[in-house]
Amino acid sequence: MPVEPTLHKSERPPADAELHQRLVYGDESALSEAYAAYGGLVRRIAGRVTNSPAAAEDVAQEVFAQLWSRPYAFDARRGSLRTWLSVIAHRRAVDWVRGEARHRKAAGADDSALHAIPDTGPGPDEAVVDRERSLLLHSALAELPQPQREVVHLAYFAGRTYRQAAVELGIPEGTAKTRLRSALRKLAETLAEPPDPAWERGA
Amino acid sequence: MTDDHDGVPELLAAWAFGALQPADEKVVPLHLAGCESCAAEAERLRETVRLLDVPPGTAAAGNGSPAAAARNGSAAVSQNGSAAGVPGAGPLEASVVGGGPAGADGVLALALRSRPALPRVAEHAAPYAAAVAGLRALLREVDDGHGPWGTPVVHDWDVRDTVGHLIAADEQLAVRLGLETHTPPPRITGDTPWEEAWNTRTADVIAYERTRDPQETVDAWAERAAALLATPEARDPERAAHATTLMGVRLPVADHFVVRGFEAWIHTDDIGRALGLAVPPPPDAHLWRLVRLAVRILGMALGPTAPPVLFAVTAGESSTEWVLGSEDEAVRGELVLDAVDFCLLVGGRYTPDEVPRGMAGDEDVVRDVLERAAALSWL
Repeated sequence: MPVEPTLHKSERPPADAELHQRLVYGDESALSEAYAAYGGLVRRIAGRVTNSPAAAEDVAQEVFAQLWSRPYAFDARRGSLRTWLSVIAHRRAVDWVRGEARHRKAAGADDSALHAIPDTGPGPDEAVVDRERSLLLHSALAELPQPQREVVHLAYFAGRTYRQAAVELGIPEGTAKTRLRSALRKLAETLAEPPDPAWERGA
Repeated sequence: MTDDHDGVPELLAAWAFGALQPADEKVVPLHLAGCESCAAEAERLRETVRLLDVPPGTAAAGNGSPAAAARNGSAAVSQNGSAAGVPGAGPLEASVVGGGPAGADGVLALALRSRPALPRVAEHAAPYAAAVAGLRALLREVDDGHGPWGTPVVHDWDVRDTVGHLIAADEQLAVRLGLETHTPPPRITGDTPWEEAWNTRTADVIAYERTRDPQETVDAWAERAAALLATPEARDPERAAHATTLMGVRLPVADHFVVRGFEAWIHTDDIGRALGLAVPPPPDAHLWRLVRLAVRILGMALGPTAPPVLFAVTAGESSTEWVLGSEDEAVRGELVLDAVDFCLLVGGRYTPDEVPRGMAGDEDVVRDVLERAAALSWL
């Protein structure tokens, strides 16, 4: 009976093929290694889509349970394990969000979250983009000059008026207003750039 | 409106942050109602603050209030200077990554439960245990877009029949170790030649299994494989040291377990090809165990007077050599085979002409070895 020798040779980097082999044959240490290598990535993706650490953990558990119980669902000839896990994680996380929205809808709450998730394939949806932008903003905030950061901290996070902030910082009111303005404009400029596409790849 | 836009531009950021003095509260909306440029700027700033409000995927789950987000945000802002500035790193990400070994173990432990654990067996039974795990995993893909149970596999068997055959094939060792036979009861008598007994038993079991659901066949096979792996002989090398004759060959029980592993893997490979799924070769340690047993049996089949051949088997970087045949004369030829190809040859999945090989010296002598190897196949 003729045999195709290429079925035994993998085109993928050795790491994936060897890991897959060990997963197929029931080697638990292979799953540990896969989790060590990709668990963070899976959780990050799930966390960004669901905005819930508890959901992210559930999704991670589902993803790695799938890898373990259905190792043949991953074909090393067709793509990397990293990509496969990312796609599964995104899909499961979107399912979770849709499930939650359906529950809320059934309970009579507004269904805007359900509509926010596109029905076709993985891709940024509004909620995810918002969360990514928020992360961008918080990062930019941390990079502001100290004088600006201080007044933003008091006026926004600590609920002071600009006059109270000025008093607490020992600066003139006008300075407080100006610093708030500079800070917020700087933050707004950060958003003028589109979110880094590398995020969606989980880089 | 005055030239300085009622002083509103200077107030817009404070307004967007919700940090206006009560006295200003009326001035701003009033001005915005009549001034497009300020209204546009106001919208932009307001939207920025709204996004600051969105919890950036951290522990502030579901709580959109500025105070809650602020507690997380302000921690990054006031404690950390610039460290939190890089997306994907730092304290904001840490809480999503599921802090610490406790989180990791929890996820892993639960994930591991989705599949039966490999039984703890002695080394000689490990190839069989692993092959069983691999076949179980493969069978989970049947009917899931990879092909139905009725997909033709080998001989006149389909996927389910192949599993049924394995029930029959494993039975000889099972019975020798004191386990029960499967339904229906065997028809064979003591003096039936083993090949006829083998074929009859397979035919009877397959016929019976065809009256059942494929999943019942799989369950029966898996259950009996587990029982075989639970015997003392599977777990204790000393209990597996004694020799017994099965399928016409006298070998230690330990080696019969290796043969079970070999057969399970070959048929898994058969099913994989039928379904279009690439079955990985057994892990190196197991593969070499199969190879060494096959070489020993091949050596016995060739006998001590056959013209000697230097036989090398390679797997990746490693390679092992044996001299097959007579040890009293110079080697007459050389043969090199890849480990998996050698196993497929011995398993009857390559003909002597087709198997990829390296040859040197007396080609007739080498070809004899190839044909003898192929003749070992009973699968």
